[in-house]
Amino acid sequence: MLLFREGSREAFEELFSRHHRAVVRFAWRMTGDPSAAEEAAQEIFLRIARAAPTYLPTAKFSTWMYTIARRTTLNYLRDTKEDGEKVPILQEGEGEDGVTPVQLPGPDDRNPEQVVWEAQLTERFRIALAELPEGHRAAFVLNRGDGLSYEEVAQVLGVTVQAVKTRIFRAREMLLSRLSKDLSA
Amino acid sequence: MECRDIRESISACVDGEASPGEAASVREHLASCERCRVLERQMRAVGAGVRQVRGSVPDRFREEVFARLESEGALPKRKKVVPAAWRWVAVPLAAAAGLGLFLLTSREVVRGPAPPGPAVARVGTSAPHVPSPQGNGSALSSEDREMLAMLDLLEDPVAFDTNDDAVGVDLLAPGDTADSPDPPRGGRSGA
Repeated sequence: MLLFREGSREAFEELFSRHHRAVVRFAWRMTGDPSAAEEAAQEIFLRIARAAPTYLPTAKFSTWMYTIARRTTLNYLRDTKEDGEKVPILQEGEGEDGVTPVQLPGPDDRNPEQVVWEAQLTERFRIALAELPEGHRAAFVLNRGDGLSYEEVAQVLGVTVQAVKTRIFRAREMLLSRLSKDLSA
Repeated sequence: MECRDIRESISACVDGEASPGEAASVREHLASCERCRVLERQMRAVGAGVRQVRGSVPDRFREEVFARLESEGALPKRKKVVPAAWRWVAVPLAAAAGLGLFLLTSREVVRGPAPPGPAVARVGTSAPHVPSPQGNGSALSSEDREMLAMLDLLEDPVAFDTNDDAVGVDLLAPGDTADSPDPPRGGRSGA
């Protein structure tokens, strides 16, 4: 990134090669729509290029990149919401206490870890993920999908580690409430 | 500990983010709570579900991103970089090429057509021009005359024509051009 900031096109090409798959995946998980993900992912790289002069090597590049990626997808979702589509976006902290407690499924003989993620189940999961509040979805996707630690997720989202822990737990509860039949069947 | 009080810690344990004390409490609780053991497994399954939502990189994604970047001027121009290994070879190669070119062009100048104007005469290099001794023969000794007789023999055109070893060179003479046919072989100009 520093080389790109100094004017190296090859550095940006290398950066793109390394990270474009992760950016597209993140955008796909956050928007839940292929065309929206492509548009958002393109916008993410444009913003990375524009923001290069402000990059400081005090933070990990991936954390910086995901901060831009999250803000870009958030703006994209807000724009989409203004266009009339229903996209659940909550402000920071909103909804954390308002989530309906999940009625957990009872004990089952089937081990959920052995659930085969068939295409149909993956599709239901994608829909359930898209219905999460954006802040919860971002925390859960960054941690489980992109491998960021709670600390790194907290930096990206600009919240405390405890808030990340709570958001991820809430996200799990909401997903389980929607998918418990699939996971327990 | 009540189940509802430990669920968040179970989630953190699944993610490997629980503190040692928190993890110990979770292990202790799970050992005695079947319902939370199921919950713990379901939490793991949900985490794995995120990674199943992958999407795919669209066709021409790279081209479209770079086209947009270039249209905005957000991307530096591509530099033509000589590979590092070639830099050590490039300078000697360039010097050798320059020297070779110089030598080739120099030889072409020597071999090339003569500029218009001067005539070309042809003499044998084995027969250098010697001033005629005529006019002051009375002062010559017998030895000198003998030598001059040999020189006259050397200047004989017939003798030159039979000298196959003689190497001809072109000499420039006024009043002739490069396109003129070669003068008769043998003998000095005007001989």
